[in-house]
Amino acid sequence: MGMLLAFSRGVDWVNHKFGKVADWCILLSCAISAGNAFIRYGVNYSSNAWLEVQWYLFAAVVMLGASYTLFRNEHVRVDLVYGSLGDRGRLWVDIFGIVFFLLPGMALLAWMTWPFALDSFVRWEDSPNAGGLLRWPVKMLLPLGFLMLTLQGLSELIKRVALLRGPVQGVDVVTEYARPEQ
Amino acid sequence: MSLEIMPPLMFGGLVIFLLIGFPVAFSLCAVGLFFGFLSIELGFFTTAYLGNLPLRVFGILSNDLLLAIPFFTLMGAILERCGLAEDLLEGTGQLFGKVPGGLAYAVILVGAVLGAITGTVAASVIAMGMISLPIMMRYGYDMRIATGVIAASGTITQLIPPSLVLIVLGDQLGKSVGDMYAGAIGPSILQILLFVAFIAVVSIVAPHKVPPLPPEALAPRGWPLYWRVIKGMVPSIVLIFLVLGTIFMGLATPTEAGAMGAVGAVVLAIVNRRFSWTLLRQAMETTMRITAMVIFILIGATVFSLVFQGVDGSHWIEHLLSHLPGGQTGFLIFVNIFVFFLAFFLDFFEIAFIVVPLLAPVAAKLDINLIWFGVLLCINLQTSFMHPPFGFALFYLRGIAPKEVLTRDIYWGAVPWLGLQLVLVAIVIFWPESVTYFIDKGTGVDPSTVRIEVPLPDMPDDDAVPVFR
Repeated sequence: MGMLLAFSRGVDWVNHKFGKVADWCILLSCAISAGNAFIRYGVNYSSNAWLEVQWYLFAAVVMLGASYTLFRNEHVRVDLVYGSLGDRGRLWVDIFGIVFFLLPGMALLAWMTWPFALDSFVRWEDSPNAGGLLRWPVKMLLPLGFLMLTLQGLSELIKRVALLRGPVQGVDVVTEYARPEQ
Repeated sequence: MSLEIMPPLMFGGLVIFLLIGFPVAFSLCAVGLFFGFLSIELGFFTTAYLGNLPLRVFGILSNDLLLAIPFFTLMGAILERCGLAEDLLEGTGQLFGKVPGGLAYAVILVGAVLGAITGTVAASVIAMGMISLPIMMRYGYDMRIATGVIAASGTITQLIPPSLVLIVLGDQLGKSVGDMYAGAIGPSILQILLFVAFIAVVSIVAPHKVPPLPPEALAPRGWPLYWRVIKGMVPSIVLIFLVLGTIFMGLATPTEAGAMGAVGAVVLAIVNRRFSWTLLRQAMETTMRITAMVIFILIGATVFSLVFQGVDGSHWIEHLLSHLPGGQTGFLIFVNIFVFFLAFFLDFFEIAFIVVPLLAPVAAKLDINLIWFGVLLCINLQTSFMHPPFGFALFYLRGIAPKEVLTRDIYWGAVPWLGLQLVLVAIVIFWPESVTYFIDKGTGVDPSTVRIEVPLPDMPDDDAVPVFR
């Protein structure tokens, strides 16, 4: 169990860093988008590269941030049944869901998006828009994001199994669930 | 196993798996992929059909419109912390305080103004609940009226442009967001009038439930009070112009307007001396997690719906729904009742991403104006925020209301407003012009001409896989 928990700590740490990167991508993307609008009218200039950066950053927010969101237990649930379960019941729902839904689903998506991204890399794919950005880096985010989610799923699984066996020290696990603000 | 039983099986499976309570995004993915591989085994479609998935996911990430979600969320998260709502509420509360029901009118008005600036319910409900609820309680408002008006006014923001729901619905229905916004103007005005009328009726029938402020609680009329009101109103109007004005005049896309709104919110926070790096960091973190959560539901829904289409699910739905009696109206009434009940269990993102794509083709086939349809659904989805016991707005209110406020009062308080909401749905069904009037001539500029060269998701031909049915 000790080894597994160490693995779990490692994954949590990496995904926390990715989450921080995603935080900054939000701000950057917002500033660039507002800047694009101003500059288009101010100096009558617009460039495809700057337009594309916006959604490159958006893709980074989603693909890099999803794992940390999972760590924080903030992916939205239908809490009709879940809300009335006790602590152990919730752990069991999560363990069931991770094993049968999350791990196979995310691993499959990582496996399916990898050739898609690799193909773009091999062809050194460019943007179809004049002056646009190289396409493969953003496509690489797909398999990376799904892989990190698979790993985070493993980490959450380990932590929850450990919790079922007794109190654990040295890892953070968020078991309480509050619906996210919107 | 025959093809006909696949769609009901898939749909039933989804319902059961969602009810277990594991996060929606992953359950959707898993159900979709499981049935996808099952269908390949059974020969309903080929592996190549499922090979479209990466392209679909990439299409979501490169969708310029969805970028508006983080921008408006960020704007709301900053505004929530920068003191604008406080200025607005205290000023208008004093201004209207003298008449019976005055505080309630102030809450409705401020709810509408906040709604026209940002798109998040949480910000409005929390601000109004923290500021107005204690005052209303102190001066003897009926508890159910007080909690109801706050929760309901907080949800106005869902319908008034720039609403996130309308962006998402516009994307799902394939209509321009500018048109969706224009279409929502009429119903938003009707909604505010309905709310005000309800309070007016209460103040006539049962004046003791909505007493005016006693003289000692009223600030003297004069410059300090007016200054307070101006301090709240001027930045609001500037922000409304920055966001809505630029969209309607065709100067910016909704996405850019959201970004400018967020920048405007930062400037306002600096001017109000509430700005700090901690504030910005917190807003960024919340926004990041909400964005990832929402877009992952969409990714999951895409996996599900690709497979669902592959097993002819759309025909199944069409078959079920197109034989309803009453043609257009029958369909609309059925759909609205259906969505109203779904909204007890699901949030609007889930309904918009899972249910709307199934309904839209049927609506189009029945010759229903999709903008009208979208606005109608938007009004209906507003109720998902107020359904006891799971409504978000009630949930936030419970979170910040003092202990003396009974949860039962919050739930019962919401009921009359749910009724008003249904009245509005009925009005819009039988009076479509309330939506279409503003699309035809309201803005003068066709927002769909604002398209700057938005980069298309790139789809090289050698990647495109033919779709087999």
